[in-house]
Amino acid sequence: MSRTIIDVYALQTVPPSNLNRDDTGSPKTAVYGGHRRARVSSQAWKRAIRLAFAGLLDRSQLGERTKRVGESLATRIKELDPSISDEAASALAAEAFVAGGLAKAEKKKGEVKDVESGYLLFLSHRQLDNLAAAALEAARDGSTLDRARFKALVNTEHSVDVAMFGRMVADMADINVDAACQVSHAISVHAVDNEFDYFTAVDDRKADAAETGAGMIGTIEFNSSTLYRYATVDVDALHRTLGDASATRAAVEAFLTAFARSMPTGKQNTFAHRTLPDAVLVRLRDTQPINLVGAFETPIRETHAAGRIELAAAELAKHTVAVETAYGERPVGSWVTQVGEKTAVLADLGKAVSFSELVSGVGEQVTTALGQPA
Amino acid sequence: MSVLLLRLAGPLQSWGASSRFARRGTEVAPTKSGVIGLLAAAKGLRRTEPLTELLGLEFGVRLDQPGQLLRDFQTARSLDGRQSAPLTYRFYLSDAAFLAAVSGERELLHGLAQALARPRFPLYLGRRSCPPAGPISLGVHDDTLDDALTHWPWLAAKWHRRKLASTVRLEIIRDVRPGEPVTETVPDEPISFDPAHRQHTWRTVLRRHVDMTNDLAERAGVNGHDPLSLLGG
Repeated sequence: MSRTIIDVYALQTVPPSNLNRDDTGSPKTAVYGGHRRARVSSQAWKRAIRLAFAGLLDRSQLGERTKRVGESLATRIKELDPSISDEAASALAAEAFVAGGLAKAEKKKGEVKDVESGYLLFLSHRQLDNLAAAALEAARDGSTLDRARFKALVNTEHSVDVAMFGRMVADMADINVDAACQVSHAISVHAVDNEFDYFTAVDDRKADAAETGAGMIGTIEFNSSTLYRYATVDVDALHRTLGDASATRAAVEAFLTAFARSMPTGKQNTFAHRTLPDAVLVRLRDTQPINLVGAFETPIRETHAAGRIELAAAELAKHTVAVETAYGERPVGSWVTQVGEKTAVLADLGKAVSFSELVSGVGEQVTTALGQPA
Repeated sequence: MSVLLLRLAGPLQSWGASSRFARRGTEVAPTKSGVIGLLAAAKGLRRTEPLTELLGLEFGVRLDQPGQLLRDFQTARSLDGRQSAPLTYRFYLSDAAFLAAVSGERELLHGLAQALARPRFPLYLGRRSCPPAGPISLGVHDDTLDDALTHWPWLAAKWHRRKLASTVRLEIIRDVRPGEPVTETVPDEPISFDPAHRQHTWRTVLRRHVDMTNDLAERAGVNGHDPLSLLGG
């Protein structure tokens, strides 16, 4: 059985920033190789990727993750049939989710409230549209949706984000969707210590009153880092969920673009950490995904002669060859987009192309691998 | 008997045995259910499929580099950011490396080793956001579980070994055999991963140790520290 796996590796430098923080406001960290590293959680970056999808894919290819499922469905029912009252639409929506087993029936009768699921429920826009149509149709026939029909509707026409990131419904495991991508926590290739920025804010009116002193003081914790980022996409799993080669290709291309270009927004207005990766390496494999983080187990230490990114690129190139040689792994395709001289060593690992060529190159080969003419 | 050895290492891993709700803990070492799940994923078994032959495997793990506990704070919001789910805490082991071993029929183990090299589902160290660093399988060997866990070279990184004494005691946690004393009982014997009725039963484990010579120790002589000798003891 042939396999198609896309491994994406990126080296990305971020300036002083705090893009993902813990409950005390400190930038997240992890220890690796015995040294503390900057860390951006996979969840944080996946959210940034999902938000970026909105600019890359049509709304019909995306979904909505919400507890307020009743409100969402009621709005659609109203759109399909404007003659229906708000209350009736809410009641119909509630009925559909109660029938499906994803919301509890209201105990008190009378006032109609939008039902909520007890957890964030991830449904594609198309699934919600189909549910709205089915709920309306059932109402016109004087019947209600049954559970089997509900399940069928939420198990077909999955959107790209649901297929990529998966759906977990504890109450109803048979509508779960296995995520097709796996995103690792980004960690810095070097050791970091978080630093503190002490700030004062001056009251605009104080100058007039000839007062001295600050209106407020505080500290913000931050660090700056060169991050190693890794994600892998199981193209076969994606294809199984989406059921269509061209949709799979579109999903892969959107994912690569969003992975490389998105950025978590934590304290973005404070730090403007809007960088793009210094290098992106994509390996298409027919065996197993390979995370090359071992390249940075020994933290990079910049020297007078070479900076972090230069040394990191060299380590990544060396480690890629070492691991693949040791295990007899040969990628089926390889593309590199890199910026400038400092990451030039990575260009030897694959086709050195611009980022848009990388994306379409991978997309083309995905189509070929799925057995469809390009 | 044959034994399949695995190297489980990466920046983060997380092996939950009894977590519920918003606080998701990790054990100090890979769990049997976690590793059987990983093997099942490599073979392409869906969670609803019976685990049959995998259930008969004997399991043990050696704590080559125990790592550090990491607490990760996580929020979840709807896409428009208007509503948030309960705050959750997830615990990880960072910087850890383990030697895991499963023993069973040779044929079966060979099949598993092949599956690990071409896994049907992506593999991870207890949690999806924890992909392993490098390939996992160290191959199938004609050995017993105990001998393999005792003699296989130490997987700890050089920087870690340098910090330790010239003899290091590594912990081994493995399934108890009939008649052996039980160190601990944990809810970690998988029966089914079917999300509709996931089932684990109690697993009895034995903890023992193996002494490893550390030729990278920078503090030579630390081991020879014997204050009682001054008293003529």
